[in-house]
Amino acid sequence: MERVLSFFGRPLVSFVEVAGQMALLFYSTIKLMFKKPFRTKLLLKQIEFIGANSLSVIILTGSFTGMVFAFQSYIGFHKFGADQLVGTVVALAMARELGPVLSAIMVAARAGSAITAEIGTMKVTEQVDALNAMAVDPVHYLFVPRILAGLIVMPMLNAITVLCGVVGGYLVSIKVLGINKTLYLDYMYTYIEFDDFANGMMKSLVFGGIVTLVGCYKGFMTRGGAEGVGRATTESVVMACVLILIFDYILTAFMF
Amino acid sequence: MEYAIECLDLHKSFGVHKIHKGIDLKIVKGAITYIIGPSGTGKSVLLKQLCGLMPPTKGKVIVNGQDITVMKPEELVQMRKKFGILFQNAALFDSMNVYENVAFPLVEHTKLPKSKIDKIVQEKLRLVGLRNIEDKMPSELSGGMRKRVGLARAIALEPDIMLYDEPTTGLDPIMCDVVDNLINDTQKELGITSIVISHDIESTLKIADYIAMLYDGKVVLYGTSEDFKTTDNPYVKQFFSASKEGPIKIM
Ligand SMILES: Nc1ncnc2c1ncn2[C@@H]1O[C@H](COP(=O)(O)OP(=O)(O)OP(=O)(O)O)[C@@H](O)[C@H]1O
Ligand SMILES: [Mg+2]
Repeated sequence: MERVLSFFGRPLVSFVEVAGQMALLFYSTIKLMFKKPFRTKLLLKQIEFIGANSLSVIILTGSFTGMVFAFQSYIGFHKFGADQLVGTVVALAMARELGPVLSAIMVAARAGSAITAEIGTMKVTEQVDALNAMAVDPVHYLFVPRILAGLIVMPMLNAITVLCGVVGGYLVSIKVLGINKTLYLDYMYTYIEFDDFANGMMKSLVFGGIVTLVGCYKGFMTRGGAEGVGRATTESVVMACVLILIFDYILTAFMF
Repeated sequence: MEYAIECLDLHKSFGVHKIHKGIDLKIVKGAITYIIGPSGTGKSVLLKQLCGLMPPTKGKVIVNGQDITVMKPEELVQMRKKFGILFQNAALFDSMNVYENVAFPLVEHTKLPKSKIDKIVQEKLRLVGLRNIEDKMPSELSGGMRKRVGLARAIALEPDIMLYDEPTTGLDPIMCDVVDNLINDTQKELGITSIVISHDIESTLKIADYIAMLYDGKVVLYGTSEDFKTTDNPYVKQFFSASKEGPIKIM
């Protein structure tokens, strides 16, 4: 009985602990965002790092997903003679689901891991202690610019992903599959609403917060030298991806 | 006598590992106190507790009359402005060059114009015997240079209390002397309180106003240099004579 309890109890306790710590850190980050000094230079650097440097990956991911999706949905729709609906389906899926989730996962792999590695290294080499020692709050100095940058940049990256996906799908449908161009566009304009896009933008705002918060948190909790930094980095990517998928479900259910 | 920092019955453990088992230590204001002891006895851990970077498991740390173990995080941040700390491994920010590292506390806590900050940075780097390295990154420096840049950064704001964790370890004999003099001079000129961790017995006896020796989680002897030269405390005698025979166990 005791073993059963501890088997289920221990992960539960550590889950509650981690969730609590992250919520507290997020809360203080939000509070500190409005506290002077505003570190504009650091914020711009993070926007460049998380946003600008992710562009090529995002463009590739978006285009290829849209292209593949056009092929796949064509197989189904062709059976019913509804070829012209491919565009609508591609755009809907990209805007509501694939754009926000895929761009967030790409950013988690590229920037979230790098954030963890950087802050984790600072932690194990006492640079975080040094910040504290010089009376600079590490959450204000390290968390705020990164999380703020994540919130600003992620929706933009999502917009680019969706755009690339829709263009990719269009090119494959018209040039490769030979679907009627006028009908394809007509159906897309008729059935896609601004809401579909706004919905995805909301999601990616949340995902931007998740990826950067997890990156910072995992870095901040790092112990045990270079090995610890490696472990934290891996955990950061896994945790961010899992949270993205869970929150994707929650948000979808809410905004349905 | 006035005290800058008082530790009262300080205990610190990491898990089951007991590091400090009741340390009572009073740091005299405006004096230089050296802390010595074998490697791994918790000198660096003690230093971090003195400035509130690490909470003790039990006991009090009183800085200028205020108990810092019960302070809120915001109060602790304010309190730390009084301290200048040199970490054992320098802890330079490796995303910044030497200039930005030394200028960091000045940029954060003063409203000085850039020209004034430039002057202070150059002045502090000159004090620690470094020249023309402002543009170098920490990874391009030798261990001894990093330590001295860390020292320049720690004294940049001219704090009330300076904590040095092994300031001369890894420096050549001439640089050791330069840094020893620097510790001595900053204290004499500015009247600040200094706490120095050191393994260099000769300079400890030369510079220290007071010495505390740490072993097995306790202070085994506290006194002036004279006290330490004449004591027949077996721990101190063994440590000073660098002998394997005696009460200090080699693990
Ligand atoms: N963050 C930590 N977590 C767990 N154990 C720690 C931590 N920091 C220090 N220790 C342990 O505390 C003990 C004392 O460490 P400390 O660094 O204070 O030694 P020291 O006296 O400064 O030694 P040295 O002269 O070699 O610098 C060591 O056994 C170390 O393993
Ligand atoms: Mg040490």
